[in-house]
Amino acid sequence: MSSPLPRGSATADLDRPHGHGADHGGHDHEGGSGGGPGHRHDHGTARRRPSRAPLLVAGALVAAVLVAVRLASPAIGPGLLPDTLQDFVTLTISVIVESMPFVLLGIVLSIVVQVWLPQAFFTSWLPRQPLLRRAVISFLGMFLPVCECGNVPLARGLVLKGFTVSESMTFLLAAPILNPITIITTHQAFGWSDGILVARLAGGFLIANLIGWLYSRHPDPESLLTKSFAAECALPTGHEHGGGRLRESVELFRREMATMMPALFIGAAIAGGIQTAVPRSVLVTLGTNPVWSVLAMMVLAFVISLCSNVDAFFVLPFATTFMPGGIAAFLVFGPIIDVKMLALLRTTYRPRVLAQLTLVVALTSAAIGLVVNFLA
Amino acid sequence: MLLTLVVGVSTLWLAATGQLILYIHPRYVVFTVVMIAIGMVLSLGVLALAPMRDEHDHDDPDEEARVASVRPRRPRRGRVAARGTAVVAGATVTVAVAVALVALPPATLTSATAGQRDVNSSTAALKGTSVVDAEAASSDAYASFSVLDWAGLLRQTSDLAFYEGKTADVTGFVVPAGDEEDVFYVSRFVITCCAVDAQPVGVPVQLDDWRSELQPDEWVTVSGGFRTNPSSTSSDPVAVVPDSLEKVGQPSDPYLY
Repeated sequence: MSSPLPRGSATADLDRPHGHGADHGGHDHEGGSGGGPGHRHDHGTARRRPSRAPLLVAGALVAAVLVAVRLASPAIGPGLLPDTLQDFVTLTISVIVESMPFVLLGIVLSIVVQVWLPQAFFTSWLPRQPLLRRAVISFLGMFLPVCECGNVPLARGLVLKGFTVSESMTFLLAAPILNPITIITTHQAFGWSDGILVARLAGGFLIANLIGWLYSRHPDPESLLTKSFAAECALPTGHEHGGGRLRESVELFRREMATMMPALFIGAAIAGGIQTAVPRSVLVTLGTNPVWSVLAMMVLAFVISLCSNVDAFFVLPFATTFMPGGIAAFLVFGPIIDVKMLALLRTTYRPRVLAQLTLVVALTSAAIGLVVNFLA
Repeated sequence: MLLTLVVGVSTLWLAATGQLILYIHPRYVVFTVVMIAIGMVLSLGVLALAPMRDEHDHDDPDEEARVASVRPRRPRRGRVAARGTAVVAGATVTVAVAVALVALPPATLTSATAGQRDVNSSTAALKGTSVVDAEAASSDAYASFSVLDWAGLLRQTSDLAFYEGKTADVTGFVVPAGDEEDVFYVSRFVITCCAVDAQPVGVPVQLDDWRSELQPDEWVTVSGGFRTNPSSTSSDPVAVVPDSLEKVGQPSDPYLY
């Protein structure tokens, strides 16, 4: 098994995969199972584990209170809020309810990747040459079909498993588009007409690798990550307290949920707010102009924050009003950058990185859209 | 963890009371419920198994140094203030949304959104019945045409001969037509994935002084034939003139797909 580079100094090596620091005094992990020889913390005398009963009781109580409030709520009756505010609430909640299962799926997969896969699972068969490696990583989404929001926790897990920061970005950008469900639904909606499907797939691949290449040249990849996530990367895996993988799994779950949930709530609220405040007719009137159609559809994609699996069906009715380049730009830009995604990405990457990312992706998507319009 | 429980409890309750489809497309219901159930099991696992605070005994000096070297240095004062505001704002929003999830009764989108998204603005390529299929359909089939079917047909043809003798029998909520005093739309929202992409579609109904009887957002069942819209300024050349109009309660599945 390839030995991971020692972690922990603030200056990371030039974009080498940072394996997880496995050096409690130089011992290697054996697949992260509970306690190899010489691996445990030596607490000296046996320590009595505090009882878990109060925590479980507290949890049950909280759940009971929530259920009680929920059951009693219909008594409030409709019409409590003015129409617009009520719609804002409905929209926000619908984004949350729709995204939540995918976020959970992404976290579950991330846990599987981090805890249950062997340490060198990815390093053993991925090509070494960076360009080729990123190209292969772009297609990882074919095996891990999660919605775009589920990809964020999964990408975090991959970084903690040894992907470089730039490789994680390639994965994040490619996976929502290059996965079987998205390809099938896009084909169902558009077939091969106007080159929209081709533009989507090629555009996604191009953008993902472009971004990956750009950031692989960054001298200090650590600085791209938020401080809290970077600190997480510095913690050695298998901080064992004798519970083994199951314990590690739930601890990971707790950490990821604590990070993702506020981001999801805020992203959903912003998406709902923008939708309530901005009339859609403004965008629709721009449909037939080759340049404005592209820009308007990108703004729509940004605001509407739909999952990439089904956004093809959503945008299909617009296909008669908007030029095909606009549709292509929507389908390329939307899965990568939108209000909800930015909120989720903020948990892992610094704002400056996100701003740069948005700019580059926006420019490339716009270019793709304009080309499609020109050829159409 | 609290937020997880909030979403979990709310979603499961919505599913149990059959109201999950107010927010998402029915094809996602099973997947959603399964994943939320898994999430709740994992949450239980967190309560039962996750290391608690005082079990983290970082008595390893190497590790302390390692973590400390990546720990953020103290930011400058101005940034502290900005950060503080951002955190407070974020926390407020999060709490407000959490409260809304648990405490507010679920609702459909209202006519405010229908008006803002312009009823029928993008129906041109909607699913629903095409003119060709419709011509071949029997008169029984027409009785079951929904708002979506009729709206799509009206988009495709305004040839009155096509509508001769056909009766529309549709249910939807009332949306005032922007440009017309005596016309309103019997509307419903069409959903692809979730409420956030809902598009309103509607059939225009011509009824003089309808505002004295009906309020926007009220659900009605309208039955009637098609006539040329008497008003010359309306954007809908053909409208339904009701033979019967009945107020109904909001159906449990208000959206169309």
